[in-house]
Amino acid sequence: MKGRWAVALVLPPLAAAMLLFVGPLLYLFWVSLHTPSQSELYGPALTLRNYTGVLTDPFYLGIIRRTLGVATVILCLALFLGYPVAYFVALQPPRRRMTILLLLLFPLMVSNVVRAYGWVAILGRRGVINTTLRDIGLIDVPLDLLYTTGAVVVALMTILLPYMVISIANTLSALDRRYEEAAQALGAGPVRTFLHVTLPLSTPGVASGMLLVFLLTLSAYVTITLLGGPRSKLLVSMVYDSVTAFEWPRAAALAFVLLAIALVVTGLILGVLRPRRVQGAG
Amino acid sequence: MTAQRLTTGPVVRGVATAVALALIIVPIAIVVVTAFSPLDYFEFPPRSFSLRWFVEFFRLENMRNAFTLSLMLALIAATLATLLGTMGALFLARRRGALAALLQSLFLAPLVFPTIILGVALLLLYKTVGMPVFPGLLLAHAIVGMPYAFRTVLASAQALDPSLEEAGQSLGAGPLRTLVLVTLPLIWQGVLSGWLFAFIVSFGELNTALFLTGPGITTLPIEIFSYLQFQGSQLVIAAASTLQIALIILMVAGIERIVGMGRLIRGR
Repeated sequence: MKGRWAVALVLPPLAAAMLLFVGPLLYLFWVSLHTPSQSELYGPALTLRNYTGVLTDPFYLGIIRRTLGVATVILCLALFLGYPVAYFVALQPPRRRMTILLLLLFPLMVSNVVRAYGWVAILGRRGVINTTLRDIGLIDVPLDLLYTTGAVVVALMTILLPYMVISIANTLSALDRRYEEAAQALGAGPVRTFLHVTLPLSTPGVASGMLLVFLLTLSAYVTITLLGGPRSKLLVSMVYDSVTAFEWPRAAALAFVLLAIALVVTGLILGVLRPRRVQGAG
Repeated sequence: MTAQRLTTGPVVRGVATAVALALIIVPIAIVVVTAFSPLDYFEFPPRSFSLRWFVEFFRLENMRNAFTLSLMLALIAATLATLLGTMGALFLARRRGALAALLQSLFLAPLVFPTIILGVALLLLYKTVGMPVFPGLLLAHAIVGMPYAFRTVLASAQALDPSLEEAGQSLGAGPLRTLVLVTLPLIWQGVLSGWLFAFIVSFGELNTALFLTGPGITTLPIEIFSYLQFQGSQLVIAAASTLQIALIILMVAGIERIVGMGRLIRGR
């Protein structure tokens, strides 16, 4: 495809990306730099107060800290549970590997609100856990499992876990087994082989799994609301609450604080794990 | 010592896999099982089987409307997303260099971008230009689905032997004829699975729809969400969720028949 035809081919998707993705985000940023207004979407004067207001308010700082804490716990749990699963999957014969990967992929296609509802049905006051415990006589009063930060962590971790497993399993099953055999032949035990050969070679999968889990945790409003209730709000809930209160500049600023966190953590994960360099060496 | 390590490794991996699969699949299975409950409240395991909640689902006007709207939205948005994604993929399939790399990241960006931010941004834009609800939702679902279609088609187009297109051109076919008669018939599997993927994404989409649905114009996932939030977990929600899952199963079966799911797993 050359010349005029090529331009005609690329123009529609480029226009869509600019008008429906880049443009709205620039506009949102523009709004975040303005004073609030009672009658309009935003006031006439430029200001940084939407940002300074968020970043000096102990309430918002507390929410940001809790968001980072919850996201870190989810990330660690997903990594420590997901890695052995990915390893197991990678060692299976191709047909069985495909079956397990399908079992992991299918839930990702079901809407997150349905998967969150599944956890509500398990953790609720009349849910599976409470009814079972009451039936076998262990408790009289139902436990308050729902609307806790713990519920958010468990539900969100399991909802996002397939991303971690599939990412790592893809890298591990493409890995040349001769590296591990060479390490073992040179006298390294299984643990040393894993720590010095397998783990470093799998960093591209670990990095992309961690990125997906972290970024999707940040914007999982529906899961956080259904499992956390009003007491376990995270930064994304603040964005939503500001929108429903029609505080547009505040909502815009909070959205960009969320985006800044996403970018910084993306940079950290890529900087520490350096997936490209390892990929090049492998 | 070494022998013990050799045996604990596989055990740990096997147990981890069983635990992970249970944690991932059990919540979905519970939703499906309870949808067939004859009782008013949640009971697990259910003692008998009934379709009353599905009847109730189609009796409730707002549920029925949300289901139809989600279907229509997914059909049109997936088509739009696939059209745009295919164009972008065909343009970039044989291009290298900084500009091509930039365009590729631009087309893939909504994939990893926190979509909740995009939702707020689109809401503000729509409010400013006075966009009606349905076209607004449609465009949002299309832009969120585009990267999925783009990525799938790009993989197919790059796997294509360039000499086939060259042969078409050298036999006197113009660029458009080559595209329609040579390229598209060779990559149609990629295009179709890209469409199915965009459909699935649109049908379950939450983060942009959360802001963009309006009174009387709600998608099924958002309707489920507001029911859960404001009316508690009535079992009609389980039926609604089961219908969502059933449609996804149909779609996945479609992808499996057309291209095989392996392609999607590797493309991820």
